[in-house]
Amino acid sequence: MRLYRLTTATLFRRKSWVICAFAVGVLPFLLQYISSGTENPSLLKPAIAQATWGMALLSAIFWGFFTAAKQGENNARSGIGEYFLTTGVSAGRQLFELWLSVTTFLAPLPLVAAGICILCTSPAQPDERAMWLATNIQYAVLFLLVMAPLVALAIAVASRFGGITGFLASASLAIYGLYGVGYLKLLANLESNSLLKWVWAGSPHYHFADPTERLRYKLGAIAWDKFPLLVAYFAGIMLVHAAISRLVFRARASA
Amino acid sequence: MNPQSPQLKLQAGLAIGYRQALASASEDISLEKGTHFLIARNGRGKTTLLRTLARTLKQVAGSFEARGKIQYLPEDLRFDPEITVSGIFRAMLPAARLAAANDLAASLDLDVRKAYGKLSTGNRRKAHLIVAEQSIDPERGNILLLDEPFSGLDAYAREIFENIWSNGSGEVLRLVSCHPDYDSMGMPSALVIQGEGIRHTVGQHQTWSELKHQLN
Repeated sequence: MRLYRLTTATLFRRKSWVICAFAVGVLPFLLQYISSGTENPSLLKPAIAQATWGMALLSAIFWGFFTAAKQGENNARSGIGEYFLTTGVSAGRQLFELWLSVTTFLAPLPLVAAGICILCTSPAQPDERAMWLATNIQYAVLFLLVMAPLVALAIAVASRFGGITGFLASASLAIYGLYGVGYLKLLANLESNSLLKWVWAGSPHYHFADPTERLRYKLGAIAWDKFPLLVAYFAGIMLVHAAISRLVFRARASA
Repeated sequence: MNPQSPQLKLQAGLAIGYRQALASASEDISLEKGTHFLIARNGRGKTTLLRTLARTLKQVAGSFEARGKIQYLPEDLRFDPEITVSGIFRAMLPAARLAAANDLAASLDLDVRKAYGKLSTGNRRKAHLIVAEQSIDPERGNILLLDEPFSGLDAYAREIFENIWSNGSGEVLRLVSCHPDYDSMGMPSALVIQGEGIRHTVGQHQTWSELKHQLN
């Protein structure tokens, strides 16, 4: 696990993770002062919950994928990947260790977000509180299932096509899956275009893993009998991304 | 022969290059434990040969055998500029080797608390060499393929590494590509890429001064 240790030490030393910690752990409490929550206290808790999950998503996309892409590109172009390759660390293993290292920094984000929502913004009613707890735990799981494979994709694409391409590939896929597919459905319905409907059906529906609407409008947790289906859906996407990432990843830039 | 002994065997006909052959071995070459230099003019295939032996580049034709744990240290290797040298050592080396790595760094005037990005070229090279030397597995044969490890290194540091190589224990085969900067540098065993041929030349008192004339 030398590459994991090296990458983790590098990321820790770089300190840019502090921005994510601040964005998720502190910023939601400051943002209330520029929101209407100060005038209408009943909006305050939902606003904090929405801001916390929003910051976790933004941090994962803009910091997580950027960092993953940078590490993937550096590994291939700095000779580090080639060095490890000669010592017997296969390309697949290198991809795994790089992924694990970035995920080590990314995994606390949904945990912190869920923790803040549970500890600071829980409803007063016991039944609502139980629902709130379940919702946040469910979304922490879905967050990891969505973001972790996109981290691998960013590393792999960057190792072959460069850091900017790696970052844009994962970030655009995440943003499309979170927000774009909704517009695509609208368009497909308006146009009655079957091709658009097929594209919509084949798109990654990451919006299912975005809890902000549910938390804001207190829609309740995902039914526990449906939650495993959602987990299986995202696990399937994860397998596809893992396979693509392994195929695309290279441990050293071409000569 | 010790079964743990490292060995590199280049079969006659081994051709290296990128799609087209750049150079090829005209005879069988066998390298055993010890230090072997790899010399050639620029662009004649030193790095290509090292990469081929490290198996990160496929040979154009022929075959070779490598017995031992391989480490290939590319000339353009670089770590992240933010990480310190001690951070690199802690990540890359087993805990039992850290003290030896730090001692060697101290003897080389390498400040391990400094960020890698703030080191001079020579000091970066020292850090790379320490990582490679301290990653040697004492339980088995080792093959170290070092691409231009002396470039940017001061004479004092180079002498320390040459002493380690000649006095060091352990089953280690080092193949070192270099462009020596002093004529009297001893090269008792050298792989020479001359024209399109790779050949092995040995001689107890062989020096760079004698060998460099063969490169034209």
